[in-house]
Amino acid sequence: MSMYTKDELFQAISTVIDPEVGFNLVEMGLIYDASSDDEGNVKVTMTLSTKACPLHQMIIQWVKEAVEKLPNIKDVDIEVVWEPAWNISMADDNVKKALGA
Amino acid sequence: MNSISQDFAPPFKLIAPFFIIGGFFYVLATLAIFLFHAQDLVYTSPAVISFTHLFLLGFVMMTIFGAMAQLVPVVLEVGHFGVELFYAIWPLLLIGTLLMIVGFLYLPALLPYGGTVVLISMMIFVGEIFLTIKKVKKLNLVMSSVLISNTFLFFGIIFGLLMALSYAGTISLDISQMLRAHVYSVIGGYIGITIMGLSIVLVPMFTLSHSFSLTPLRISITLMSLGVISVILSALFNINFLEYLGYFLSFLSLPFYFYIIYIIYKTRPRKENDIYAISMMFAYSAMLVALFLAIAYFLLHKEVFLLASAWVLFFGFFGFMITGHIYKIIPFLVWFERFSPLVGKQKIPMLADMVPYKSSQAQFVFSSIGVILVTIAILTKSETLLHGGASFLFFGGLAFVRSMLYMINFK
Repeated sequence: MSMYTKDELFQAISTVIDPEVGFNLVEMGLIYDASSDDEGNVKVTMTLSTKACPLHQMIIQWVKEAVEKLPNIKDVDIEVVWEPAWNISMADDNVKKALGA
Repeated sequence: MNSISQDFAPPFKLIAPFFIIGGFFYVLATLAIFLFHAQDLVYTSPAVISFTHLFLLGFVMMTIFGAMAQLVPVVLEVGHFGVELFYAIWPLLLIGTLLMIVGFLYLPALLPYGGTVVLISMMIFVGEIFLTIKKVKKLNLVMSSVLISNTFLFFGIIFGLLMALSYAGTISLDISQMLRAHVYSVIGGYIGITIMGLSIVLVPMFTLSHSFSLTPLRISITLMSLGVISVILSALFNINFLEYLGYFLSFLSLPFYFYIIYIIYKTRPRKENDIYAISMMFAYSAMLVALFLAIAYFLLHKEVFLLASAWVLFFGFFGFMITGHIYKIIPFLVWFERFSPLVGKQKIPMLADMVPYKSSQAQFVFSSIGVILVTIAILTKSETLLHGGASFLFFGGLAFVRSMLYMINFK
């Protein structure tokens, strides 16, 4: 039994905006997965648009803080993965349209 | 927030002086163009040499050094060995550059002093970068490019100091041979390879391009490195064959670099033409023009083509490449320091909101017209066009400084 669904966790993370492009991380397609157990332990699997992102550590912190705003969260574990590598096809249509992709 | 490492973003007060001083040197360099005489423009004249050092040392190197304080950890994926050393680098580079300019224009006896101060500044920079690279466990292509470019800078500074000593009469050397080694080490070896390596990190980062092969870049950096080594050896041992081999190899390296930039441009998902994007387009177009002018020089043996090529390379390619990146780097650093602690607590600006539209566009328009006019002036030996172009560049420079100060003071 999980405390929060994937959609609820994605909704919480969607408050985090990449300041360079101006879109949130969920609509950018950077959040690959999110799950929680019944004790409030959350696991987020995500990537970044580039390995050299200078905001790497901050973005992870923001995602953690966004999830922690949900009630009864005990722990948030964030795993940053590079496979599959992010590309623009993972972003929502509104992002692609705004960027001109 | 306390758990966030500051390794990837040094304090802005450390980097800001590099950019501010760099901007003022950019404006001074535009004023120095008024000292040129279009009819008898030669690369050995004090006006041209002082302009070159104002622009390359005062603007290009000063700004690159500041940018490297932030970009080296991003590229090398490790923290600096001693980022505080950058507090010593900019005052020394500032004093050394000013002494050298006065030395070239009025007082040659100052040249060894200026050269030595610049040498100390650059040695601190190179030493810091080498010690930071030492922390990297495995070097990738871009990291290797940082190592190679800084090695060339190390030798370039030595050649420059030897020339300064020779200018002042302290030692006797063949200055023209040493000049070739100095110019090629610093411009081709350091600035060229630094731009090649860093642009392959930064341009895709800002355009969101992915999945391109780095093989053309590897070939390009290898050819450029071999070209620079050949020219240095030709200067040291007076071997003509190596000089032309070096030119050939370095020219050959450019199509490979252009190819990878073209692929990144063609496959970029982010197609908005902001000040960064149009600056990059102008910079790369300028580099192509510089290449064709250099080829014209080798075919026709007319010095105006060499001067025009160097001019377009300096103000067209280096100038726009650097100013374009400033519009990305300064907003990031200011945002990181001033607004990132407020994320999630209140509404904060995006990075693009921090770039002043009108003054950045004014800088682009005035500077690009200026570059084109001065190029035509050099080729046609027109004094009127030269001063007209310099005027455009001066106002472009002022707009650039205004944009920079706006971004730095953004609240």
